[in-house]
Amino acid sequence: MSTPILQARNVTKTYPGVKALDNVNLTLAGGEIHALLGENGAGKSTLIKYLTGVHTADSGSLLISGAEQTFSNPSESTEAGVGVVHQERNVIREFTVAENIVLSRTPKKFGFIDWKKVNSEASRCLAMLDFDIDPSTPISKLSSAQIQLVEIARALYTDTKVLLLDEPTASISDAEAAKLFKVIHRLKDDGAAILFVSHKLDEVYAHCDTVTVLRDGKTVLSDAALADHPHDEIVNIMVGRSLASLVTPERSVNTAVDPVLELRNVTTTAGHGGISLDVRPGEILGLYGLVGAGRTELAHAILGRERITEGELLVNGKPAKIRSVKDALHDYGIGYVTESRKEEGVFLDANITRNIAATTWGKLAGPLGVVKVSDERALVEKYVQELGIRISSQDQLAGQLSGGNQQKVSLAKWLAADPKILIIDEPTIGIDVRTKRSFYELIWGLADQGLAILLISSDLAEMITLADRIAVMDSFTLAGTVENTRHYDSMSQDVIRLIHAKAPSH
Amino acid sequence: MKLKLPASLGSQYLVLLATIVIGAVVLGISSGGNFFGPVSMQTFFQFLAVPILIGLAQMITLAVGQLNLAIGAIGGVSACLAAVMVADWGFNPWLGALVCLVVGAVAGLANGILVVVTKINGFIVTLATMTVLLGVQYALVNTRTISADNWKPVAALGKASVLGLPAIFVIAIVVAVLVGLAFKYTTTGRHLLASGDNEHAATLAGISNDRSLTIAHGASGLIAGFAGFVSFASLPGVNQSVGGDWLLSSFAAPIIGGVSLTGGTVAVFGTVLAAFVVRLVDSARAEFQLAPAWVNLVIGAVILGTVALGRLRENRESTKAGMLRARVATHRINAPHMAETAAKEASL
Repeated sequence: MSTPILQARNVTKTYPGVKALDNVNLTLAGGEIHALLGENGAGKSTLIKYLTGVHTADSGSLLISGAEQTFSNPSESTEAGVGVVHQERNVIREFTVAENIVLSRTPKKFGFIDWKKVNSEASRCLAMLDFDIDPSTPISKLSSAQIQLVEIARALYTDTKVLLLDEPTASISDAEAAKLFKVIHRLKDDGAAILFVSHKLDEVYAHCDTVTVLRDGKTVLSDAALADHPHDEIVNIMVGRSLASLVTPERSVNTAVDPVLELRNVTTTAGHGGISLDVRPGEILGLYGLVGAGRTELAHAILGRERITEGELLVNGKPAKIRSVKDALHDYGIGYVTESRKEEGVFLDANITRNIAATTWGKLAGPLGVVKVSDERALVEKYVQELGIRISSQDQLAGQLSGGNQQKVSLAKWLAADPKILIIDEPTIGIDVRTKRSFYELIWGLADQGLAILLISSDLAEMITLADRIAVMDSFTLAGTVENTRHYDSMSQDVIRLIHAKAPSH
Repeated sequence: MKLKLPASLGSQYLVLLATIVIGAVVLGISSGGNFFGPVSMQTFFQFLAVPILIGLAQMITLAVGQLNLAIGAIGGVSACLAAVMVADWGFNPWLGALVCLVVGAVAGLANGILVVVTKINGFIVTLATMTVLLGVQYALVNTRTISADNWKPVAALGKASVLGLPAIFVIAIVVAVLVGLAFKYTTTGRHLLASGDNEHAATLAGISNDRSLTIAHGASGLIAGFAGFVSFASLPGVNQSVGGDWLLSSFAAPIIGGVSLTGGTVAVFGTVLAAFVVRLVDSARAEFQLAPAWVNLVIGAVILGTVALGRLRENRESTKAGMLRARVATHRINAPHMAETAAKEASL
């Protein structure tokens, strides 16, 4: 075997109180897609940050094409041919798409920036992804999935020998992911080494050749051929114990009951036209669509963050006037678990009590507006137990929790307000298998208690697992609604057909 | 490279231009035409140089998400040290000019290094250096006013004209153009903006935020020192009040000119236009013999108004964009063949 392109040996990284990486080994060979798997907090992102010079390690060595390297900052790793897409979005919002792509090495002529070349280089990278966007568009005009694509384009900008992808498909649609995989395979054929981190095991099995599994900062499976390790075995290695397969419960929705939330031919300031849908108590209505289809924006319209200019929004059969999230929650019992938990879902610098009780202060407050701490704590404890949120105490800061637990805190916050309708936006992005399952069970449980749930997800498998009916959106209109038969193949065909039937012909 | 202005900025420039024109006309009428007389115009542009320069100095710190409270003190110390060196210690007047720039750059770099090394908020750091520098300024000149007769060759530059405009105003415009070009065409300029916009993303792109902060404060100090030199050259005498009233206008120009307070943006043209407005308010004060406090009141109110208006416009624009999308969507349902036409309209 030839010299591997990237080799990390015995990497150890300690944070105060935690060993984030403990003697980790990783070997990436050219022409190979290597999966890096592990639960949240297993050390995957930390390893990637070490490989790209964002963090240094306490000990261990890194070899690129056989030569030892120590990256003390990200530009050194870029120069050495290591391209990366980090898990979180990292863009300069005031800059254009093009400038963000070339930021690490802006083309210059006579010492000054060559803007023509900036745009042409960026176009070249965007074309590799079939991403049709004007490179001079400001990033602030893009959706988060489009930004994700820009970041992938950025990783392709420099002569990349090694491409590290930390959950690149977490927030993009299946169609966009397909394009990404096409590029990845092309790079692979050109001899690049690719590291692929994903919680979507289907993707991993479809595209990866080799696998490394991390658990609690240790390599528990090192550079193995993926074909030798079936799905269930990998999951067991990841979680460190065997996990029973997920059983979808028998779900039945009482169709005789009137819908609790209903949209009739709604047009919004966000740009929706002619949207009609309804959700009954105890029902999970999935809202599926490609990126930019207007799903999150529709949620915002229901919550009064965008205005409804035509058509009707009915709650319990009566027209509802919702002007703010506060109205939605207090007057109509509509809760909204947001898409980006870090930005909108939790107060990272506040403790668990404050985070969960935030929606209930109005209710808990005494005559002088004073909230009794003991009331607050008792209420929060109830939800911590119910949702199985893993915390050391209620005084822990939300920012210290893992992604899955943060998401549960975000959910608990809304449940504490006792809603009748819950809009859940991309609940399991970047969440590991085990936590994902507990989330699914939780969502079924909430529906069984009579909550009407509007579920937004880009993960079609998740949609088919969870939803009772699936409403498919395309370009801010409703392409149609289908009953969920829970047969993945036929359902996915139905859904994709709906999207394509609506697509304008070129 | 075509000069493409974002729609919102374009309209902001129009508002500023209109304000300047209307303000000038009102002043012209109320002064019985005197305002447009050659002497008055000469004075107007002569004392426009400082508002432009200090506006740019503040803009550069705002670009990296910082601010510089010490601009006035840096300018004051520069001018006073130059005056003392020339008048008391017998140095060549042109050396005095050079000292202004050196003092400004050193003080600015000191601000930057303090912010980077101590990780203390720039507000506190520059508040402290401002206080220290004001002490130095007082120690240098005490209650004296040092006459510009001591540096006649430099003072001659302060009164000189180029193409009918005061030389120092032309120099200020040249500085503005250079600053604008630096932010558009140099990687250092872009890195400053990147650091100001998103520190973490800048780090991941291999940009040193520490370097950005140091350079921004250094450049801000340098330009403040240059404003000190302009005062040294153009005022009849230098005393401890030089730079004393710069703080508010240094913020007024970039903020009214469209620079975001959260970092990541610059607006050189806007800052220069807004400096015109600030200067007009000052001229109006002289014309109507109002107390300087009125100027502060007006400029303060305009700053608040600008920030509030900008916010309002942002909201309106996002609503407008949404309505257009809705039209496209509705068209697609009702008449699929018309969707394309509507889409084209929307993209215009």
